[in-house]
Amino acid sequence: MAVELEQNMAGDHQLVRAALLGETSAFGAIVEKYWNMVMALALSKVSDTTEAEDIAQESFLKAYSQLINLRDPSRLAGWLSKITLQQCSNSLRRTIRNKRALGCRATSVKALDEQSAMTANPGLTQNQIQFVRQTVKNLPDKFRTMIIMRFVAGLSTVQIAEQLGKRPGTVRVRLHRAYKLLRKDLAPILEEVRS
Amino acid sequence: MKTCDKYKNLIEKYIEGTISEGQLAELKNHAEKCDSCRAQFERCILLQDVVKEALSSQTSAEQAGASIVARLSEEPNLRPAHARFSTILYSGKRAAIAAGILLAIGLLLGFVTGRAGKPARTPLTAQVPISVGKVDGTVLVKHEGSNVWQTMESGSYVHLGDTFHSSAKSVCRLEFEDESTIDLNQNSMLVLKSFNGQTQFFLEHGECTAALESPHGPFFIDTPHGRVEALGTEFTVTVE
Repeated sequence: MAVELEQNMAGDHQLVRAALLGETSAFGAIVEKYWNMVMALALSKVSDTTEAEDIAQESFLKAYSQLINLRDPSRLAGWLSKITLQQCSNSLRRTIRNKRALGCRATSVKALDEQSAMTANPGLTQNQIQFVRQTVKNLPDKFRTMIIMRFVAGLSTVQIAEQLGKRPGTVRVRLHRAYKLLRKDLAPILEEVRS
Repeated sequence: MKTCDKYKNLIEKYIEGTISEGQLAELKNHAEKCDSCRAQFERCILLQDVVKEALSSQTSAEQAGASIVARLSEEPNLRPAHARFSTILYSGKRAAIAAGILLAIGLLLGFVTGRAGKPARTPLTAQVPISVGKVDGTVLVKHEGSNVWQTMESGSYVHLGDTFHSSAKSVCRLEFEDESTIDLNQNSMLVLKSFNGQTQFFLEHGECTAALESPHGPFFIDTPHGRVEALGTEFTVTVE
């Protein structure tokens, strides 16, 4: 596990270094590596897939333009997650403001989240996808990012702790609390999927 | 029962992503024989799959990478800021030579202008390990020695002497490496005065809430009316 952790961080370090030297393909490799995590973070804030993809793309472009500000390349995933969540907040605010400017009744953030969802994998029904996304969305902020980094990006608690600059013990406790909440709230879906 | 306790620990390790291949094989082997552990392990796998699937995208990671690279090639303005400077920074020997030359020029200039021997001023760009967390609304930052206010960006790092200004209905969070945080509330102005063993802020007006991880070093928030020293872990300072 320690070797894997070191390899992962060394890989990020090299990719960031190459991207800063102007190799766009290196940044493309960063996008490939973290696309699923960034998309999941966006989808945990805005359920509309097209909007989430826009947010993910904008997040990567912003990250590229500000790559010089990344103090510690071994914390690339944590840095990307912060940028993505900020882009999500900006997007939600912009959507509400545009609706107001057009004279429409402002859609609440909750209502925006309830818009239709699409996903690549047909295993779950649309209702189930919406239910799962809403459940993840309802998690406290400090739990949500950890769940996504663990389940979607596949990072271990040790790696998440490194990325977010937290103690491994803190991450472990929060991950288990989040897991318990999800297990309880998603119990009906898990039963449906299993049967 | 004691045997199952061992496998429940392994399931926890599986959730944490810290299980070794050998332990995983052992867990799978046991789950085939034990109904209770099998149910728990399967539920755990299913939960992860369901969350992953619900939060997946139609665009594959490869497509996304290619698409971003294409955009970067089409729009050269998107290249990383100060890329040339970073090139120097990353090229070991050249960085040392460049730093030596700059230092020599600096010392010469200092001597010529009669400033040699005076205590060195803290560099304007001294970055400290405090990052900008969540930003809601419009929060501006001004670096020491500059008159330019910039929008605060989440994920960026704070510099010594930075002044933070939050407008109405705007808040932001500063995050320390030890998980301590400072929330700057609306209509507030806060200055980072020192970060050298002890942390010292100056709250000119408005309100800020500090949540410090214990144990923490000396931590002060000065105000126009006096100094507040952190003894506990969570407190709010208001200057009207």
